[in-house]
Amino acid sequence: MIGGGSTGAGVARDAAMRGLKTVLVERKDLADGTTGRFHGLMHSGGRYAVKDPDAAKECIAENLILRRTASDCIEDTGGLFVTTPWDDPAFGDSFVVGCEATGIPVEEIAVSEALRREPRLDPGISRAFTVPDAALDPWKLVWACARSAQEHGAQILLYHRVVDLERDGQRVTGALVRNELTGEELQIHADVVVNAAGAWAGQVAELAGCRVSVLPGKGIMIAMNHRLVNTVVNRCKMPADGDILVPIRTVCVIGTTDVRVADPDELEVTQSEIDEMLDEGEKLVPGFREARALRVWAGARPLFSQEEVADTREVSRSHALLDHRDRDGVEGIVTITGGKTTTFRLMAQAAVDAACAQLGIERPCRTHEEPLPDSEDGSFYVLGSRLRAREPVPQSEEIICECELITRQRLEEAMERRRTGNLDDIRRTLRLGMGPCQGGFCIYRATGILHAVERLDHHAANVALLSFLQERWKGAHPILYGDQLRQARLDDWIFQGLLGVQHLPT
Amino acid sequence: MIEPVRDSLDHCVKCTICETFCPFSQVTPLFPGPKFVGPQAERYRGAGVSPDASVDYCSGCGICTQVCPQGVKIAEINSQARAQLWEERGIPLRNQLIARPSVLGRLGTPVSPLANWALQNKALRLLAHRLLGIHRRAPLPRFAGRSFQRWARRHRSPISRRRVVYFHGCGVNYYEPAVGEMVVGVLEHNGYYVQIPPQDCCGLPLQSNGNFEAARAYVRRLVANLAPYAREGVPIVVNSTSCGLMLKREAHEILGVEDDDLRAVSEATYDFCEFLLLMHERGELRTDFRPLPQTVPYHAPCQQRGHGIGKPALDLLALIPDLRVIELDADCCGIAGTYGLKKEKYEISMAVGERLFRDVRESGANLAACDSETCRWQIEHGAGVHAVHPVELLFRGYGLDAPAPAGVSAR
Amino acid sequence: MTYDTVVIGAGLAGLTAALRLADEGGRVLVVAKGVGSTHLAPATIDVLGFDGGPVESPAQELSRFGEAHPQHPYASLSIDLIAASIEWLKTRLPAFGYRGGLEENFVLPTAVGAVKRSAVVPETMAAGDLRAGGRFLFVGLGLKDFFPAYLADNLGHVSADSAVSARAIELETSPGGEADVSSVGFARRFEQSTFRNAVVRGLAGQVERDERVGFPAVLGLQDAGKVWRELEEKLERPVFEVATLPPSVSGIRLFEAMTAAVRKAGGRILIGQTVTGAEASNGRVEAVVVQAAARPTTYRAGSFVLASGGFASGGVQLDSYGKLREAVFDLAVSHAEDGPRFLPDYLDEQPLDRVGVLVDNGLRPTDGDGRPLYENLHAAGATLAGAVPWREASGNGVSLASGYAAAAAILESDS
Repeated sequence: MIGGGSTGAGVARDAAMRGLKTVLVERKDLADGTTGRFHGLMHSGGRYAVKDPDAAKECIAENLILRRTASDCIEDTGGLFVTTPWDDPAFGDSFVVGCEATGIPVEEIAVSEALRREPRLDPGISRAFTVPDAALDPWKLVWACARSAQEHGAQILLYHRVVDLERDGQRVTGALVRNELTGEELQIHADVVVNAAGAWAGQVAELAGCRVSVLPGKGIMIAMNHRLVNTVVNRCKMPADGDILVPIRTVCVIGTTDVRVADPDELEVTQSEIDEMLDEGEKLVPGFREARALRVWAGARPLFSQEEVADTREVSRSHALLDHRDRDGVEGIVTITGGKTTTFRLMAQAAVDAACAQLGIERPCRTHEEPLPDSEDGSFYVLGSRLRAREPVPQSEEIICECELITRQRLEEAMERRRTGNLDDIRRTLRLGMGPCQGGFCIYRATGILHAVERLDHHAANVALLSFLQERWKGAHPILYGDQLRQARLDDWIFQGLLGVQHLPT
Repeated sequence: MIEPVRDSLDHCVKCTICETFCPFSQVTPLFPGPKFVGPQAERYRGAGVSPDASVDYCSGCGICTQVCPQGVKIAEINSQARAQLWEERGIPLRNQLIARPSVLGRLGTPVSPLANWALQNKALRLLAHRLLGIHRRAPLPRFAGRSFQRWARRHRSPISRRRVVYFHGCGVNYYEPAVGEMVVGVLEHNGYYVQIPPQDCCGLPLQSNGNFEAARAYVRRLVANLAPYAREGVPIVVNSTSCGLMLKREAHEILGVEDDDLRAVSEATYDFCEFLLLMHERGELRTDFRPLPQTVPYHAPCQQRGHGIGKPALDLLALIPDLRVIELDADCCGIAGTYGLKKEKYEISMAVGERLFRDVRESGANLAACDSETCRWQIEHGAGVHAVHPVELLFRGYGLDAPAPAGVSAR
Repeated sequence: MTYDTVVIGAGLAGLTAALRLADEGGRVLVVAKGVGSTHLAPATIDVLGFDGGPVESPAQELSRFGEAHPQHPYASLSIDLIAASIEWLKTRLPAFGYRGGLEENFVLPTAVGAVKRSAVVPETMAAGDLRAGGRFLFVGLGLKDFFPAYLADNLGHVSADSAVSARAIELETSPGGEADVSSVGFARRFEQSTFRNAVVRGLAGQVERDERVGFPAVLGLQDAGKVWRELEEKLERPVFEVATLPPSVSGIRLFEAMTAAVRKAGGRILIGQTVTGAEASNGRVEAVVVQAAARPTTYRAGSFVLASGGFASGGVQLDSYGKLREAVFDLAVSHAEDGPRFLPDYLDEQPLDRVGVLVDNGLRPTDGDGRPLYENLHAAGATLAGAVPWREASGNGVSLASGYAAAAAILESDS
């Protein structure tokens, strides 16, 4: 199967659990695509309760399943829908009706109670409702699925790009992939190919001669340095831009926009989008513009549409399973696209069901009941867990990334496991460099450790350091002001002034 | 969580300057350091939960906040996190006891000979060490046996248009009433009519032991008594720099008290040396000092520096002929209020203060000066040199000690 | 409270101005919202190390450089003045054993194995000079801010023709002890003879005869000279320190030495108080207002030095709307043209890099037409427009020279 996002990892797990010999190929690192770029909201479905009831029902059903099976990836923050002075208070009634009709537990609470829970909210809010939103860590999720898949015999090939799909007449028989790190090419023979390439699904389908219209809907998100809220906060209105604020791990994320773009690899962040997000943030949390913004990034939603639409918000957020045998007369390939991370398991199930049908076998899906690795005891992630872990014997281990409390030991283990000579991969696994200093203090240390652990030569280590800095800069420079600018100046001083990395041979 | 303090964590650029200055993390691995425990850990304390017990090893000295170049309110963040920690775990009896000096004072004063004997008795101290957790060698003060309030009730301050209100604090009231008498004497010598309204503890020890509710109650009662004077424009003078800082800043910033009474009192509160120096700048301070030929090392307590007014005691003492004052370099004496009394923290506190003790001893002086009573008791304990509030030197400099005062500060 | 001069900022620029003025008998107050840049940078004086290519001799390049960059502080500071500020520092702080001058830069290794050119270097770092080539052994102590293997790997490839070879060795210094010790923690350990002896023992027989031994810059806080000399004696090799991540131990030494000197000369230093405003009339600054606990305090003075730093310290601020502001006096700030504030390539020069306060030749902040705004206000250090210290290797050089120049201007106007 093609694609290492939540859907792809979910498919690999489901297929492997059903006893199918499975290999996953992903052109970069797991969750490099849309899954790693969303705000981390595990929907209760409230957002779609009025506008898209089918999507809402899917969300709440999967929300409950994930709570049972992926608890370690989830922080049970709860969710609030609030009516700000800019929203129509009457919408709250339709909201409640919609939630009840779609099975989403909803309760109106007193505004004073909402403000007690979330003191940074605009005191002018007029109504507040609770729903079971939660925060979902995409990397934990995807890696847990991948590990589970491997435990059931699947192979995960990262940094392997699909160059072409092998065909025998009207039948897809496999894929030609290239290892991006070594240049080596590999032929994979498969009875069924599952295309779970998300926003890139159209590009992959084309290799099989099938036309799949996936419209990339770009959305930007801004991570704020600390959790201004500890509950997911939504504006109680029809879904629009910048109306969600999600506390995820140590930051909170505001999002998002929705702009149709042509290429999911070309996602530009514009100043006007940033200003829009900051202004919307200010409506939820007064003083938002004075708070510290860490970085901004863009992801591309995979919006599948049977026909052309003007505004990508009009496209349903439900997923689409395309069996190309029926649709295009091409056997051996199915595409699963659309949807959202919250419903990844359902999408994976649909895809593997279709694959099994093509293989002519019937095997039951168990992903709705079997917990993922690390989620066996059903306990949710708690924000303070890394802090508590440092507690019993302070300073018995060196802490390398202080913002995210990562010890040398954990770093070395991750480097031994990944062996890609790439600090960004480590970042995705451990959150290295994702705190306020954005790597200012930890990246020299991490590079020194990488150089030793992976036995890199100085060129490769220098490349790892400089490309990490460039990656961080990509998300930092469009939104650099206030406190984060001070940090960036200090970081410039450290890397360029003190260390002189700009003069390193690469 | 009081938001403004918490949100200051956004200014942290992880420069670790605070950690280089923290006197406590230097001497013990049990305290990971102010940056670690403050702005760094605070991002992990969602919804008012403090999973990290090591925050309790922060002494609250406030040096970190003073040196932070970015304006992070580090010590204040730590204070709030500590309160959260103790709210979750329940405050131990020992902390509840030592955090209420006025209660202890009222209990101990009538039976002071017995109380003082008990506090010095090795066997009883060992018992207290084991059962309560108060270190057997901790420098506990002696009860004076008479309260300053009683003296104040019988004292007639010469009426004058220049009025000042004196907030004396628990230290003067139960342990060092003579210091209070000297403060009043010096103010009256300078033509002030000194009023001493009914007053109790400012709540600082309760705050630093994490009992914010009780601390707020004490502070509110206190400012209710003082506010009417403040509103009339009468300055409020405080000789204990820690209590003064509580009124000026900490009750609002750390405890989050928003009362109008507090606001009025804060603006009217002056540290005693600050007040005299301002008088001097206006040309109003009497400078008829007789020579006091001696060398006195001076230590500015951490919380005195937190006032942000420089070290007015130095400028004042410079007015006394032949008095040579040495400004001590060392940052902190280690006592941090009630911190150094605790069994698990006493050794840390003594290690922190070691440099100061050594500097005091090496000065060769037989008298040291310091504005905070708990610091004075620690210096006496650690350096073996008698320590006085600067007011005592001014009092003697003015010759007001000619009729023998009722005992100098408690030993 | 009235002073002769109030200096705002306790970084190298502020402390230089304060010390010069206090030495000449002025009543000086230093007010700073916190501890300054000294703790983040090494104590080397980098005057000019890189300008399109490495600069070998600042003396030869400075006038051309000033002409090419008319807004740079070096355009207002003569070579003689820069040289004088260096000579002053060397004699004023003899304990640092500063070496070098404007004639030729030292070429020092950085903690990652690149090189940096510094004009003036404390004696504890001088033996790291790569100009004559040589063989170097870098010693790791278990400090997480120093990776000698990575350093040596890069340094050995610095340039094919410079005869520099480097290798690394790790010493186990903390058996059974604390795992996570900071630079300052190591510096304190080096002040104990037992620790020094253990280090020497650990290196016994490990150092080649012609090798120079490089440690991270943690060779003591109070008396680094003594620690360094003892190591050289006992190892019988040249020994040097390599600056590494903040907190900078050598910078801390500089701060302690300068603040002690300021106090000894009668100056006052108030750390932890932010200047929130100023009072001015008739083209003169009369006082600055500081937010102490509960009440603002006013400090009056005859002259003022603004050394509050640039973006890094909040001396110059940028808000989310893109508005620039100098934080104390609301002085005119040189601004980048309209357009993106930052460019996508991390290593490129960025539009806002040189932003700061514009000054006349006397270092007085000016209005848009080049006229000084206040006759008794001078600016120094990173607050000044025009420099990009982290690219040019000019940070401490600008701070030292401009702090010295601000003091000189004040002394001149007083006389």
